[in-house]
Amino acid sequence: MSGAPGSVVVVGAGLAGVTTAEYLRAHGYDGRLTLIGAEDEPPYDRPPLSKDVLTGKSALDEVRLHPEGWYADRQVGLRLGVAAQEIRPAERAVVLADGTVERADAVVLATGGTARRLSVPGAEHPSLLTLRTARDAVRLRERLVPGTRVAVVGAGLIGAEVTASAVALGCEVTLLDPVTPPLVGVVGPEIARVLHAQHEQHGVDLRRGSVGRVESTGSGVRLHIGDGVVDCDVVVVGIGIELNLDLAHSAGLAVDGGVLVDNAGRTSNPAVFAAGDVARRVGAPREEHWDAALREGEAAAAGVLGQPAPAAKAPWFWSDRYDTHLEGVGSFTTADRTVVRGELTADFTAIALRGGGLVGAVAVNRPQEIKALRRLLDRNVPVDAAMLADESVDLRRLARGV
Amino acid sequence: MVDQPQSTGRRVLVCRVADLPHGESLRVPREETGTGDAIALFNDGGRFHALNDTCTHSRASLSEGWVEDGLVECPLHGGTFDLRTGAAVGSPATEDTTTHDVEVLEDAIYLIPRT
Repeated sequence: MSGAPGSVVVVGAGLAGVTTAEYLRAHGYDGRLTLIGAEDEPPYDRPPLSKDVLTGKSALDEVRLHPEGWYADRQVGLRLGVAAQEIRPAERAVVLADGTVERADAVVLATGGTARRLSVPGAEHPSLLTLRTARDAVRLRERLVPGTRVAVVGAGLIGAEVTASAVALGCEVTLLDPVTPPLVGVVGPEIARVLHAQHEQHGVDLRRGSVGRVESTGSGVRLHIGDGVVDCDVVVVGIGIELNLDLAHSAGLAVDGGVLVDNAGRTSNPAVFAAGDVARRVGAPREEHWDAALREGEAAAAGVLGQPAPAAKAPWFWSDRYDTHLEGVGSFTTADRTVVRGELTADFTAIALRGGGLVGAVAVNRPQEIKALRRLLDRNVPVDAAMLADESVDLRRLARGV
Repeated sequence: MVDQPQSTGRRVLVCRVADLPHGESLRVPREETGTGDAIALFNDGGRFHALNDTCTHSRASLSEGWVEDGLVECPLHGGTFDLRTGAAVGSPATEDTTTHDVEVLEDAIYLIPRT
């Protein structure tokens, strides 16, 4: 393939890394392609970990990103269980933890992040777990037997999903968050309140506050929160991730709240690209959702090939808890007006507008409306607030322009 | 081209044309199709197409997907398939799917499932 680098090493075998490799091959790249994953597990999809994998509905083998033979069929050299230790762009080399060196005319960093841990006295207690990797999910699943007292710290998307899964498994759950209600920035205040209230409706003990200290009580732990305490057997800490930036720093890449990249995923070093959780596009907030990892993987691969990136799309995410399928597109942070279709107590779609234009939407159990709104947003279709609020108007027709 | 399995040659009455407006889709259960997977029947701008209902990427029903311009987008992750050929044309779907023949006789829509 003319113009393309002779060899590409993708560091990180999560969704962003695997998508990069996939896009490269799908778009005719025929050079040497290596995908490096620090975990032993064949690449897997992360969203099910807090839901179907945790509740035992899906085995890990059912959430692989690709079937076993996929990588060999496409001549993608998959190196699992070995971390990349250093990238040396000037030498066109990636050094692995086992001492081997991979030749890399281009490198794609998709190193993601590591679950953030509590940094309070006693937080090293072995009953404090996190959920980020497949191994984390398996370890947590073993602990979530009926009757277990579980404290979930952090009521963001992961915390909320783990809470719902633990409830489904028959655990007694306490959910802690310093902000009431959480997710306001993601879904707006009305929906954040509705979602947070669901936990209480499912028997979850909601506590506001942050953990100041962790005390060992023999079999379990006691969390000290302000003046109160929570006694539990297991603690799940869901307070976000720390980015895995060591490789970027050692290669001298520009880093500011993520490895800085342009629209083509290119970092400050023209031979190095970045995608997924670890990357941040200059001038935009860093994104941590599944769809963003996929799109950024595609953009970086296109960048490696010197091809134009696929058209950018509005951020999109989903989350499942209890019987609620939550989906959102765009953003609520800049909204000056919200219109709601349906009832907040049942299924609904809330639409965020700014200056009469569509900027975001979030829906409970109305995925088709989000699909329509996503297209209206991506296609910059002018909208009318009264029409959007009118339940008799089929949003899909608006999106199709019929 | 996507290699497709043999047609069963059986004709299964699904619904009336009026029951499936433009852009709509319908899930025909396995008990009716006699196939390994349920079948999703689509009306894309007046053209009827049928694919295996379960997305090849993960367990989602394509009958709940978005139908437009000859494609269906999976409701779960947005993988897309060509309605005519079953080819996976948009990530994260990478595995092609099975198509089934559709016949319209008078005002009735029939499926002719493949195995």
